[in-house]
Amino acid sequence: MPKQSILAISTVALVSLLTFLPALRAQSAPPASVDDIKVATWNSVPLHKPAYAGIKPAPAPRRDLFGIWDATGDAAGGAAPGIQNTGAHEYPAVLPGDNSPPGGEPDESKIPRHLPYTALGEATLKAHKPTGMSVRSVPAVLGNDPLNVCDPPGFPRIELYEFKIIEIAQTADQVMVLNQMFRTWRTIWTDGRELPKNPEPRWDGYSVGKWVDDYTFVVQTIGVDERTWLDNAGRPHSSELKVEERFHRVDHDNMELTVTIDDPKMYTEPWLALNKFPLRLQPRGFDIREMYCAPSDTSEYNKDIGDPSVAPEAK
Amino acid sequence: MRNKLGTISLLVVGFLAASFPLFAHHGNASYDTEKTVTVKGAVTEYIWANPHVFLKVDAKDESGTTVHWVIEAQNIVAQSELGWSNVMFKPGDQVVIDVTPVKNGRPIGRFRGRIVINGQEFKPLGR
Repeated sequence: MPKQSILAISTVALVSLLTFLPALRAQSAPPASVDDIKVATWNSVPLHKPAYAGIKPAPAPRRDLFGIWDATGDAAGGAAPGIQNTGAHEYPAVLPGDNSPPGGEPDESKIPRHLPYTALGEATLKAHKPTGMSVRSVPAVLGNDPLNVCDPPGFPRIELYEFKIIEIAQTADQVMVLNQMFRTWRTIWTDGRELPKNPEPRWDGYSVGKWVDDYTFVVQTIGVDERTWLDNAGRPHSSELKVEERFHRVDHDNMELTVTIDDPKMYTEPWLALNKFPLRLQPRGFDIREMYCAPSDTSEYNKDIGDPSVAPEAK
Repeated sequence: MRNKLGTISLLVVGFLAASFPLFAHHGNASYDTEKTVTVKGAVTEYIWANPHVFLKVDAKDESGTTVHWVIEAQNIVAQSELGWSNVMFKPGDQVVIDVTPVKNGRPIGRFRGRIVINGQEFKPLGR
């Protein structure tokens, strides 16, 4: 073979290698950020561990919670932590070692983690008849969970029941939390105002927030309507409920949410409902699927399934 | 790259499938979770809605009498993540479905796994 041809072939080979090497490397290297993960247009399925394995998240941006955040979380051999069918994440109303209790227990005395109820708290709990997966749950027709007739979940139940996807947006005066579940939103005022005195009750209460450092946003909420339950196990609250949320942005892709319940009429001391609960940023373009409670759909469901499934024995 | 993304999304859905409890609204109390019934018949209606997606199937019992079964799944979000859609079933489809029946003996159940639609077994995403 002439020398020139060998040179030409080698040059082509070298150029090809140099051209394709970066591409090869790009294929095997993990994405640098969650924003580099390409998802299908209209994707509404949250990313889970294998998709973001190997990412070293960038530092958290300063005073910034913008984005779409997944609260369902990764299941570690059990239910996803955001789906709190048995009660607030830190206080599940389940029997020891049992993730799907049969329900029907008269009280919470057999569960491992007890809440510090007052006498009124205990009595109000017993008046609430949950119908989900918790230890005291009863069949749907015997229950009185306000969600079964599509009442608003209110705050903080929106974070202590089926905590799914949220979107957070900020303006000069507000932080807004948009919830997938029930398609509701909350306004958290950041303009320096005080909480109202003797407010008229609201389903979501009244919220003010401030940055305690560049990565931690703390929210206080009062004035929550007493008709709402705190969680799926029917944990009660009074008009004296105060809720503190701490949104701590760990890095660009991760946030932790801590929720403290303080209600001296119902509990002898404040308790943590969520403790550094993980929220994960979703890629750009993530589309939040709607999740309404439509009364007509719910009544059709109850007519065909909910009511007859607990009716007396069929012949 | 395409394949890799495909794998990722399958894994994603696999995790989700494992992470959603089957039942949110009324616990296990009314279901006989030890029992499996195989319902074989024709779809009459498919309701793609919250709080639960459900399917109505006319099946024949041993004596040849038509029984109107109602079979429920989870909510729309959870079912979508398993690859279900609003057009997964249509009236007239011949189906074979394994269900967990209710305790009171009525023809009501919830999906338990196997779903065959017009001879094709349905595979949930990520499985």
